[in-house]
Amino acid sequence: MRTWLLMFAWGCVEPLEADEGWTLLEPREQLIRLSVDLRGVHPSESDLQLVDENPALYTDFVERYLQDPRFPDQITDRFHVQYLTRTGDLAVDADVEAFGLEEDEVAASLAEEPLALIRQIVAEDLPYEQVVLADYTMADPITAWMWGIERPVVEDDTGEFLPSHYVDGREHAGVLTMTTLWTRYPSAGVNGNRHRANAVSRILLCDDYLARPVSFARTQIDALTSGDPEDVIRETPTCQSCHSSLDPLAAHFYGFWWEVDGDFREQTTYRPEDEPLWRDHADKPPGYFGRPTQGIRELADQIAEDQRLRQCAVKTVFEGLTQRTTSDEDWAELAPHRAAFESGVIRDLVRSIVLSEGYRAGADEHDRVTLKMVSPATLESIVYQKTGYRWTMDGRKALSANVNGLAVLGGGIDARFVTHPSHDPSVGMVLIQERLAQAAAQAVAAHDLDPEREGEAVLLALVNLDMTPESHPAEFAQQINALYLEITGIPLPEGDPQPEALVDLWKRAYSVEGSKEMAWSAVISVVLRDPRLLFY
Amino acid sequence: MFGKFSRRDLLSGLASFAALGTLGTMAGVSRQAKAASGDRKFLFFFASGGWDATPLDPKFAEDGVSPVMGTDMDPDTVLGVRGNLTWSSGVDRRGMDAFFERWGGYSHLVRGVNVHSAGHESGMQWMMTGSSASSIPDWPTILASHGSIDYPMPHLVFSGPAYPGNLGSAVVRGGGGSLLQLIDGSINGRVDRPQEVLPTPMDSMTDALVYERAARFAATKTGFAQQRAGDLLSNLERAMELEGRRFEAGLDRNGGSMLDQALMAIEVMRLGLSRCAMINIPGGWDTHGGNQNVGRQLHEFFLDLDAILDVLEVTPGTTSARLLDEVTIVCTSELGRTPKFNGSGGRDHWPYTSMLLVGSGIRGNRVSGSTDESFVSMPTNLDTGLEEEGGETIGTEHVGTALLQLGEVDPEQFLPGVPALRSVLRNGA
Repeated sequence: MRTWLLMFAWGCVEPLEADEGWTLLEPREQLIRLSVDLRGVHPSESDLQLVDENPALYTDFVERYLQDPRFPDQITDRFHVQYLTRTGDLAVDADVEAFGLEEDEVAASLAEEPLALIRQIVAEDLPYEQVVLADYTMADPITAWMWGIERPVVEDDTGEFLPSHYVDGREHAGVLTMTTLWTRYPSAGVNGNRHRANAVSRILLCDDYLARPVSFARTQIDALTSGDPEDVIRETPTCQSCHSSLDPLAAHFYGFWWEVDGDFREQTTYRPEDEPLWRDHADKPPGYFGRPTQGIRELADQIAEDQRLRQCAVKTVFEGLTQRTTSDEDWAELAPHRAAFESGVIRDLVRSIVLSEGYRAGADEHDRVTLKMVSPATLESIVYQKTGYRWTMDGRKALSANVNGLAVLGGGIDARFVTHPSHDPSVGMVLIQERLAQAAAQAVAAHDLDPEREGEAVLLALVNLDMTPESHPAEFAQQINALYLEITGIPLPEGDPQPEALVDLWKRAYSVEGSKEMAWSAVISVVLRDPRLLFY
Repeated sequence: MFGKFSRRDLLSGLASFAALGTLGTMAGVSRQAKAASGDRKFLFFFASGGWDATPLDPKFAEDGVSPVMGTDMDPDTVLGVRGNLTWSSGVDRRGMDAFFERWGGYSHLVRGVNVHSAGHESGMQWMMTGSSASSIPDWPTILASHGSIDYPMPHLVFSGPAYPGNLGSAVVRGGGGSLLQLIDGSINGRVDRPQEVLPTPMDSMTDALVYERAARFAATKTGFAQQRAGDLLSNLERAMELEGRRFEAGLDRNGGSMLDQALMAIEVMRLGLSRCAMINIPGGWDTHGGNQNVGRQLHEFFLDLDAILDVLEVTPGTTSARLLDEVTIVCTSELGRTPKFNGSGGRDHWPYTSMLLVGSGIRGNRVSGSTDESFVSMPTNLDTGLEEEGGETIGTEHVGTALLQLGEVDPEQFLPGVPALRSVLRNGA
């Protein structure tokens, strides 16, 4: 609150009042947005009809979708833009093939160690502070094997991530003591774990030391090059503006160290006896922004009490759900969400955001984001929902797994070189939607028009191979209208020229290809490329 | 009938459609590509990891052999000189010598560039955007978005960093080799449940309807939503243009090396398909553990750069005889490295680096900026590039605004009040 008043006093920002200037989407569109964000798929037509008839039911659907089993994964994906562990190339030194595993399969499992804890916090409504306070880690069989974690034996083990324990003597402090995180964010010996300290600050507090401008005075640089850099850092106020808090934070992570004699596996090994090594390097005792700590567990306690931890979660979830980048100007708009998150329960935070007018808006006087674009992985998921067709390569989901860089082409991230998603419809995304739509359309047309599958149609329930536009014009028109409703969730308005245009397309395609299946495939592919599948 | 159907015809027809409705008033929608463009193009090379800046900013005493105090030069290197340019020469980096001998007249070295950071990720962002704000697009994205024509692939990122900011619709990340397969549709023959590649006539027919549908959708929107829907329309046009040109672009010669990627970039620039491209310079540049491979990596990079300039010289440009006169090459990295070796014989992170600018619009055979013997940037007159008391420390933002000026983009829109490093501009634009 004090910060807010100060900003007014300085006249730095001209904040907008919350809920100012928005025009809401139509009820159906609101429900589609909600479902895509919380479940990764469109709502059913019966749900859409209900909210169409009674828009007030939106709040009921919020509660229903918040309980959907897909919800925790959707929110965990939002946190991944902070953790960035799904790089597909986490260090794997073990001979994984000897165990019948592929390297990317191992990397994919390891990447989930911190994210599995987020998922558990969301799914079980645990206090968000559990992210650093959990006295366990999360492991599936592969992660347990790779990192030497003791994973409980359970009946009918499905291989999911379970609360588990390291047995190498480390204390457990949620993500702070996870080997995956410190493998993703290693620290060169001479840098004394500062990379790791900054990762903690950036991921958990949304405060990136490296985003601060650095301005070195000549005398400082001269001193750095001629003497011991650590002395200069200690004695120079400019350096201390960051290092006074960064170095004590870094001092907690010496149990994970750097390579020893060229063996980089040392980075993945925790040695309790190395914890005091900070004395030999930066010589800053462990502490958290001026308060001394005794080890990593106390650090976790301090972070858990820091209000920036929750503020960062609010920012992360809000930006993920709205596709907006927040700044001081958004402070007022975020205030009710921060209040809702006083429970520490992510579900309460999400509820607050998705009920707000800003989230439900389709237009805005101030040009804030009111038309969002699905991620490549969500497009893949929606097309699968609509058609039953999955775009896979070598058994991997082409867009979710970023096979051959396809997800990045569509605006996704690779968590290493591309770390910010793009929500604009690039030519890459246009081509992805086109080719995915064509493949799915062919598959569904072949399935639905197969005389041996009568009654099993996914999309083409109103036509068959005996029908032509000339013989059954009414059925064709009904089928095309039904396709739009089923695929986009929005009925075509009365008098829309699209059915007629698609009947014409069917005729022309049939005249070129001589195949009714291909003609329907062309029609379906057009509908699957509708902008309403890309935007929501 | 459909065999003669051209995507350009389609676009013309659809432009008429758009003009009938509210779309005719939307900026960026249905822009017709000009037959030719005099836009300057930009080819970026990026050494991920933070390259050693001393090879392009050598610190030798007058004898050209002894390193000056304060800076360790790589063993067995000596001063290389060509005109006003100097570099560290050695048997492991003969490619540098050859390059500057041939192309020194086109080359401008920028020294002591402050990247405002000692971290990889933030240094990369500062270098490419002149800012730490993630919402700001990088230089090539801005340039690509402000060309005089609507390029099908405005900024093509083969590899290396990409900061699309709020101009993401202009960025095509071509990594992984999937772009060509998406363009020609062959990707659907390679998936686990392969499907037929649609014959061109059907592909074209569906494109027309999809475009029309997207145009109607955009027309129902206002403000931001209309702009984003308009971006979809622009990119539908670009996709159709690309599909129609797929065999001309030479993208099927897809290779993974830097030179392969550069040749493809040149080809798409020649065809007017892209204005900017980004390519990663291979090698391990993050040399904490030892600097011994830097010379070899520079040798290989400069050999490739030499070949790239050869190609640019013999390739006809859009409005000039040689593409070399229309393409500006920018070679950079996110950091410099410490002037002194560390205990491993490597170099750690350093916030001052060197850049190399070559080609169109660049004042060749010149150096801008300088560092002292401790490798700290000296105050510089941004108009002359010479050291001057009371001058500015050259920052990434000054180089970036100069590039924007070179591309005829007003830098004030993006970094207001930041002066350009005009000394690098041939005409001081």
